[in-house]
Amino acid sequence: MATTAEGFDAHHDDHAAHDHHDHKPGFFARWFMSTNHKDIGTLYLIFAIFAGIIGGAISGLMRWELAEPGLQIMGQVVEFMGGAGTFDEQGHMWNVLITAHGLIMVFFMVMPAMIGGFGNWFVPLMIGAPDMAFPRMNNISFWLTVAGFISLMFSAFVPGGIGNGAGVGWTVYAPLSTTFSQGPAVDFAIFSLHLAGAGSILGATNFITTIFNMRAPGMTLHKMPLFVWSVLVTAFLLLLALPVLAAAITMLLTDRNFGTTFYDPAGGGDPILYQHLFWFFGHPEVYIMILPGFGMISQIVATFSRKPVFGYLGMAYAMVAIGVVGFIVWAHHMYTVGLDVNTKMYFTAATMVIAVPTGIKIFSWIATMWGGSIEFKSPMVWAMGFIFLFTVGGVTGVVLANGGVDDNLHDTYYVVAHFHYVLSLGAVTSIFAGWYYWFPKMSGRMHSEFLSHLHFWVFFIGVNLIFFPMHFLGLQGMARRYPDYTPAFTYWNEIATIGYIVMAASMVIFFVNMAYALIAGKKAEANYWGEGATTLEWSLSSPPPFHQFETLPVIEDHHSADDHISPAPARA
Amino acid sequence: MNFGDIARKRLQFLAILAAGLTFSAASVGALAQEAESVEAPVAAMVEGAAPDAAADQAATAAPAFEHFGPDMIKGQPIAAEDDMWASMGFQDQYSETGNYALWMHDAILMPIITVISLFVLGLLLWVIVRFNRRRNPVASKTSHNTFIEVIWTVIPVIILLVIAVPSIRLLAAQYESPPEDAITIKTNGYQWYWGYEYVDNGGFEVISNMMPEADAIAQGYPAQLEADRRMVVPVGVPIRIQTFGADVIHSFAVPSLWFKLDAVPGRINEKVLIVEEEGIYYGQCMELCGARHAYMPIALEARSLEDYNAWVLSQPGGVIAHAEAEVVPAAEVAEEPLPAAEAPAV
Amino acid sequence: MATMVLEQRNRRTMVMAFGMALAMLGLGFAAVPLYDLFCRVTGFGGTTQVATEAEADIAQRMAASAGGREFSIRFDANTASNMPWEFRPLQVTDRVSIGQRDMATYVARNNSDVPITGTATFNVEPEQAGRYFNKIQCFCFTEQTLQPGQEVRMPVLYFVDPAVLDDPNMERVQQITLSYTFHRAKSDS
Repeated sequence: MATTAEGFDAHHDDHAAHDHHDHKPGFFARWFMSTNHKDIGTLYLIFAIFAGIIGGAISGLMRWELAEPGLQIMGQVVEFMGGAGTFDEQGHMWNVLITAHGLIMVFFMVMPAMIGGFGNWFVPLMIGAPDMAFPRMNNISFWLTVAGFISLMFSAFVPGGIGNGAGVGWTVYAPLSTTFSQGPAVDFAIFSLHLAGAGSILGATNFITTIFNMRAPGMTLHKMPLFVWSVLVTAFLLLLALPVLAAAITMLLTDRNFGTTFYDPAGGGDPILYQHLFWFFGHPEVYIMILPGFGMISQIVATFSRKPVFGYLGMAYAMVAIGVVGFIVWAHHMYTVGLDVNTKMYFTAATMVIAVPTGIKIFSWIATMWGGSIEFKSPMVWAMGFIFLFTVGGVTGVVLANGGVDDNLHDTYYVVAHFHYVLSLGAVTSIFAGWYYWFPKMSGRMHSEFLSHLHFWVFFIGVNLIFFPMHFLGLQGMARRYPDYTPAFTYWNEIATIGYIVMAASMVIFFVNMAYALIAGKKAEANYWGEGATTLEWSLSSPPPFHQFETLPVIEDHHSADDHISPAPARA
Repeated sequence: MNFGDIARKRLQFLAILAAGLTFSAASVGALAQEAESVEAPVAAMVEGAAPDAAADQAATAAPAFEHFGPDMIKGQPIAAEDDMWASMGFQDQYSETGNYALWMHDAILMPIITVISLFVLGLLLWVIVRFNRRRNPVASKTSHNTFIEVIWTVIPVIILLVIAVPSIRLLAAQYESPPEDAITIKTNGYQWYWGYEYVDNGGFEVISNMMPEADAIAQGYPAQLEADRRMVVPVGVPIRIQTFGADVIHSFAVPSLWFKLDAVPGRINEKVLIVEEEGIYYGQCMELCGARHAYMPIALEARSLEDYNAWVLSQPGGVIAHAEAEVVPAAEVAEEPLPAAEAPAV
Repeated sequence: MATMVLEQRNRRTMVMAFGMALAMLGLGFAAVPLYDLFCRVTGFGGTTQVATEAEADIAQRMAASAGGREFSIRFDANTASNMPWEFRPLQVTDRVSIGQRDMATYVARNNSDVPITGTATFNVEPEQAGRYFNKIQCFCFTEQTLQPGQEVRMPVLYFVDPAVLDDPNMERVQQITLSYTFHRAKSDS
């Protein structure tokens, strides 16, 4: 937005000449000791796909289990995992699955894909930097995340109380996770969060440094593409929220292993304190998962409307506002723990405030499209799907924000539906939008537009079939985290399970599309989306050279004349 | 899906339940004690033993109190096959704050969020139709309009204010303090059953486990929701519900009464509850509490104060609360004619 | 030249960012004492206050001038699931004038055949009453050890702060529940 690709090209006519001494290290050094932001981004994306397959397979088991009342497959799952298959073990296995699904999707799928993958790939490219500020730290971030994932996987095979694995929910509430889950499984699960958290903190530091110090000359903060803005805000949220989680779960570990009683009333602790700390992290965490998506959607909508983003400053500061307010609303996850009336009223009011900046974003995207010349390429279709699905997820958030109403919805499927609409249908849809937007840039190969559209429609129908009926189940009072239910809930659960099959089919289309692109895809040009795509990454070849911007691009003033952002933004 | 397996699993499950039933002295603690029952909380065992006597007594002596049958079930989820529309909304509400909250959801929140969603969808469709490349080959360059930006900031604020008014009123109503003479019932969450302690009625505790599914279905109750012993409460008067978690955090939740309160170890929580109609209301534990989280239902039976007192007197050590205030002579209650044909549910 | 400067700037930014992360980490741990302090000061979560005899005297004199509104106090007793004690209040409810010192008695009995040390947690409901509920003496301040079969009476000396009259949130409160839970002390196992 800030710079035009054409204008930038002039400075880099000599780029091709550099390519022949564009040294790439050997396979092992390149992929295991990588310090190149693009390679690390690729690693993150591959890792996220791998974790997503596992997390998605687990949700398949969950939908299978919930297809009918009664226990369907938990017995076989327990036996498969080497247990005896007693009734209690089956219930425990269910809890292990929901825990793993949550943790994998949050920490090892969405976050690595958005921040590690797209962030690493495109933040340096978009700001005209040769690489991230600390390339080796970048490498450590990635491998810490992998180590965290291995630790979590390992926890499934060691005792965690009744059976193997950590069956405590992704929130790891004490005292279920302390006194009432003996065995090392929960320790490994907690440690996996430490590792992934440390990786994310290092990554956040790297992004902040890169964005603050390594922008190309002339690219002021107010000229940065919105995706970079979104990653910047996200990095700050990570930096402020994750250490609190680290502290909270470290105390869980010491409570479990070293006899401390931070959360144990028997020693003067308070289990509610853990919930406060967890959600002080947990609420910003949900914005960590969606803000980069906001950024990607902004880029995509502007590109395919051939228009600059409407209300750029409003969009940037709406994200900042969401980030800030995100830190003062945490107790709306705890409406039923026994808060007093004033606390509950405060959190109700504060939570509803978030709807305002979110609304600004939704309407600004639509205003960006308004008057545009929209081309419905695959990323745009995904982006428009995102806007609608995120709106649906957002408005149910307004319902849940009301403490009094939430009394009947807390921990029901209504909440499950809500957060899957904003995350599974929101964040994941934006990941796919970003994927189709940038995949040819990253791989140098064009994907099939037909398969991408087909993927969208099948996915859209599938996820709505899964999650929309969950609103009904929640209103009717079906509780979360149940492997079994009373027969009255059967109908909508059946629909949801059918929806899962549809969604799974859409993923087959996705992988076929990727295989097609990598094997037979057309070679991608530098700017395959045409004149709407104006950020710096489109000035480079597809894929970009191993080392880019050896001479820093200059964002010259004369571009401001036809720049989409007014030259001197009024004080916002 | 392999339905043979489903049937087999269900049989296994029932067999385990049945085994639990056989081995425990009575129906009490079937689930609770079937596990590592030796280490089961002493309190629960002690308390649990007592109601057994009452059950025996009730079986031998003429029943002074009879539980409601399936015809009195009011609060339960509705299957889509029975009523599609009802299965898509909240359960009918039987408490005053529940009705207000239901009104707030159905009359304020639902219309607002539906209109917003449809409005956004409509804008998207309009944009698709009107501003596609064919109809609008040249994009405008507009990227600012302060007026419209102010509008879409202010209107949401107004909408939120409209929502906030009933929201705050609802919260205030839910936090109304129970009067001094409200009957106090403690709901204690255990892994994995509930204990209802009637502290104003002599302090006995009713241990409530899930009724085995086959039994529930045979008697016409919803599977997994019916309990072997119900939580009996008086109708139409304020009840002070106090929740306590004996081991991990549980959550006492009854959807048709708009009531949910966590049972936290080391502290109690308190909320007032007024049930407006006699009937049976089902709920479940709503905070993840371990392997049998899904199998510790709440069956709440609301009875007239007379019936409630009769039930209290049928419990060991049960005495009528505030006897000096509400005079309901026990003899009078006992004399009430009761149909002898129906066996007591307990 | 330019790179030197950039490296220095990067390092400075990194140090500042790590500083923020460390500060938040510290805040995370500091939350334990801070939360405790916050609860004690504001009565959040129904945390009761601790008062000295002298403060109790002042409260009594203040209350005398304020007129004699009464509160009903309910006494509640719980035991954690791993605690083989029987624990109950001697009186379920009591009425007390604001500012007036009152004594409540709990009874605990060790039903097991080993000595057991217990420690009590407590809170009051409704929660907004926490900041007005003062305890002068309480068995919950220290650990208690009971021999097998031993039964003890444990007193609580408390009063309700007259400041309660100025709090609109307390206007409609008629009864305050004082709840105790006995846990097996960590040092015991």
